[in-house]
Amino acid sequence: MTGRHIALRGINKRFGALTANDDVDLDIASGACLALLGENGAGKSTLMKVLYGITHADSGTISIDGVQQNFRGPFEAMAAGIGMVFQQFSLAPALTVQENLLLASPTAPWLHVPGSRALTAVLEVLARLAPDIDPRSRVADLAVGERQLIELAKVLNLNARTIILDEPTSVLTPTETKRLYGFIETLVADGAAVIMITHKLADVEACADHTAIMHRGRMVHAGPSADLSRQQMVELMIGTASPATADRPSAPASTTPRVIVRKLAADTETSSVANIDLEVCAGELLGIAGVVGNGQTVLADALVGLHPLRGGDVIVDGHSVAWTPKPRIPDGRVAYVPEQPVHNAVVPDLDLSANLGMRSILQRRFWQFSRQQQDADARALLESADVRPPEPMRKAGTLSGGNLQKLVLGRELAGAPSLIVACYPTMGLDVAATRAVYRNLFEHLDRGAAIIWISEELDDLLDYAHRIAVLHGGRIVGVRDWASASRAEIGDLMLLGALPQCA
Amino acid sequence: MDEAAWILVAGWVAAILRSATPLLFVTLGETLSQRVGIINLGIEGEMLAGACFGFAVAATTGSPTLGLLAGGGAGLLLSSVHAGLCVGLGANQFGSGLAVWMIGLGITSFFGRSFVGAQVDAAGSIGGSWLEGMPVLAQLLDNLSWTAPLAFLTIAVAAAMLYRTRPGLAWRTVGEAPDAARAAGLSVARIQVSGVLVAGFLAGLGGAVLSVDYTQTWAQEMTKGRGLVAVGLVIVARWNPWLVPPVVLAFGAAEAAVLRLQAGGLEVSSHLLAILPYVVALAVVIAAYIFSHRDGGMPQGLKGVFAARS
Ligand SMILES: Nc1ncnc2c1ncn2[C@@H]1O[C@H](COP(=O)(O)OP(=O)(O)O)[C@@H](O)[C@H]1O
Ligand SMILES: [Mg+2]
Repeated sequence: MTGRHIALRGINKRFGALTANDDVDLDIASGACLALLGENGAGKSTLMKVLYGITHADSGTISIDGVQQNFRGPFEAMAAGIGMVFQQFSLAPALTVQENLLLASPTAPWLHVPGSRALTAVLEVLARLAPDIDPRSRVADLAVGERQLIELAKVLNLNARTIILDEPTSVLTPTETKRLYGFIETLVADGAAVIMITHKLADVEACADHTAIMHRGRMVHAGPSADLSRQQMVELMIGTASPATADRPSAPASTTPRVIVRKLAADTETSSVANIDLEVCAGELLGIAGVVGNGQTVLADALVGLHPLRGGDVIVDGHSVAWTPKPRIPDGRVAYVPEQPVHNAVVPDLDLSANLGMRSILQRRFWQFSRQQQDADARALLESADVRPPEPMRKAGTLSGGNLQKLVLGRELAGAPSLIVACYPTMGLDVAATRAVYRNLFEHLDRGAAIIWISEELDDLLDYAHRIAVLHGGRIVGVRDWASASRAEIGDLMLLGALPQCA
Repeated sequence: MDEAAWILVAGWVAAILRSATPLLFVTLGETLSQRVGIINLGIEGEMLAGACFGFAVAATTGSPTLGLLAGGGAGLLLSSVHAGLCVGLGANQFGSGLAVWMIGLGITSFFGRSFVGAQVDAAGSIGGSWLEGMPVLAQLLDNLSWTAPLAFLTIAVAAAMLYRTRPGLAWRTVGEAPDAARAAGLSVARIQVSGVLVAGFLAGLGGAVLSVDYTQTWAQEMTKGRGLVAVGLVIVARWNPWLVPPVVLAFGAAEAAVLRLQAGGLEVSSHLLAILPYVVALAVVIAAYIFSHRDGGMPQGLKGVFAARS
């Protein structure tokens, strides 16, 4: 099989004042998997959207086997055998799996006769990828991992020989990730070129033959993956020479609990927690480990007083902070860093200034509001939280994930809270942003705050938490001190809810 | 029942069909427009324009067919304003729709004056001598022109297009998930414009059927809010063309029944009657909310209409 060679040369792309791609060169060879590495906002998606014809470069050329291409839109890129699975999926949720595949297939017939050969033909690839997905089900009813497989099937239906996957593993469970690695291997063995955008080094190690690393819009390295150590990749990605992850926060000074959770029970339609007993000291980081879907969200909401309790109480500094039927203005004692900040912590269509002013505005009488004051406060906060770009008039929805999380932390932790509840605060963030989040949280530990940190990254919990409580089926099934915690034991608790019985 | 009773029923059915035909076209049009994600309140104005100009052309040329075509054309022309404002300029759909409605109202009131009292021929009946010996069928078909079957045919074709063809899938995708449609390489703007124009043509045609074929007169503001009734009936029909005929006919039958009751001495205000479709629409929305499918089949793209564009 003769491989083809795609060459991107001198790609420049600016969005207003921001340079997303700065004179980028990239070579893509068939029969190999290329990992495109870089932190959030490095310009990886932009570069690939240029290749896919959905974004037009300001300058630069794309050539396939030496022939210059001029894609005016994705259809022309698809015709040239290039397919892309986006970070944000482009499926129509209200339509069925089959309809989505039909829509994307250029060979789909004009007339859709139910059950006809032509209609079932578009399902063949999916049947191989995921035999258990019913093509008649609505995409809205499918899990994220399943949706990604449908996207992949869409691209494969186009006979794409160059397949771009934008952060495919960020939404997948470990099992689904393994399966995806397998698919990538098969595709590469068939002679396709796979480009995997990622910021996980595990992805690179699992399947990338080549690695290209971007940093702030520039291509800082490209070559065989074996050429670089893990350490070197991290350095290139974050552009500094000190990739040491944060230090473990020092042990809490006191052993008197600052936060007491007593027999907490709460329910939602789909999940419930009960019998939760926890104590957290000043300066202590308590990790809550557990597989997603074991009641984490309702527990977090109940802890911070956003969700009514069925029983029990949450006491911070001697005051109950549990939900009350009568709404009260938050007194700043408890801070909440919810999961998926873009959905749960900001209004994407409002500017940064308004988003940052949301807390302080509650403390003011309505005639005391001043936009100038709010903008000035916002500017100061953006500066101190190192949000980039620090433009108060920018819409929150346009920030990258890491900067959005910095913004949320800056706002929520501004008032020196006693209890901080953080849900997956580093999910989807790159190395540098993750470190900034840790540093910020740990500063509050030093100040004497108590932190409850909900995470599914067991390694992170083992690295940083003082104690780890394991949530399984809505109960705390075990609490371990970091010194005595073993990975295997906590893993068993997470998955089984109990330790295997000794014979 | 004996034959006389059947003949009576056939007469009723024919009357209901005749009065419902304009609304069939208009409701189908609004359904298609909303399926591509554009709410068109201007449908009332487009219907009026169709009624007025269709009547004018029919009266001038003496040809009802030409009149109906001209009515469709007038609706299409007026809907291009809505398409230009909403799709081209990204204007608010409600504002644009109301503007189109008012334009239609103003223009037809002005130009229609000279045609008040003019004479037109109705579209040809589909009955005829071949029905001799079948008095029930004759009673039904003699009283129907070809516009009624045309309406059902159009609905069937539209529904088949929407659910069984590639362009139909494209239309539905645009209405349900415009971003996904864009990513699939569809021109969302072009499809939305097509949807609005088709709706305009159907609304104009429905208006012309009303003035040329049904009442055979032109009067100022003669549609009396039927275009807006169609907007309500779209919800009742759950944005599904196949459900347009049963919904419109049920509405027509209810209307006819109330008229009978009124004739029989029962006091029912026609104003109260006018709210009937909206009461039913409300009931359907509530029922849809209670029974799982919370949006009752509403194209997801329409949700964006109620939120600010970013
Ligand atoms: N359509 C757009 N308009 C304005 N800015 C954009 C747009 N798309 C991307 N950006 C900005 O360009 C930069 C690079 O983005 P992207 O390519 O998505 O990064 P990543 O490497 O995380 O995929 C980011 O700062 C992002 O905010
Ligand atoms: Mg990206």
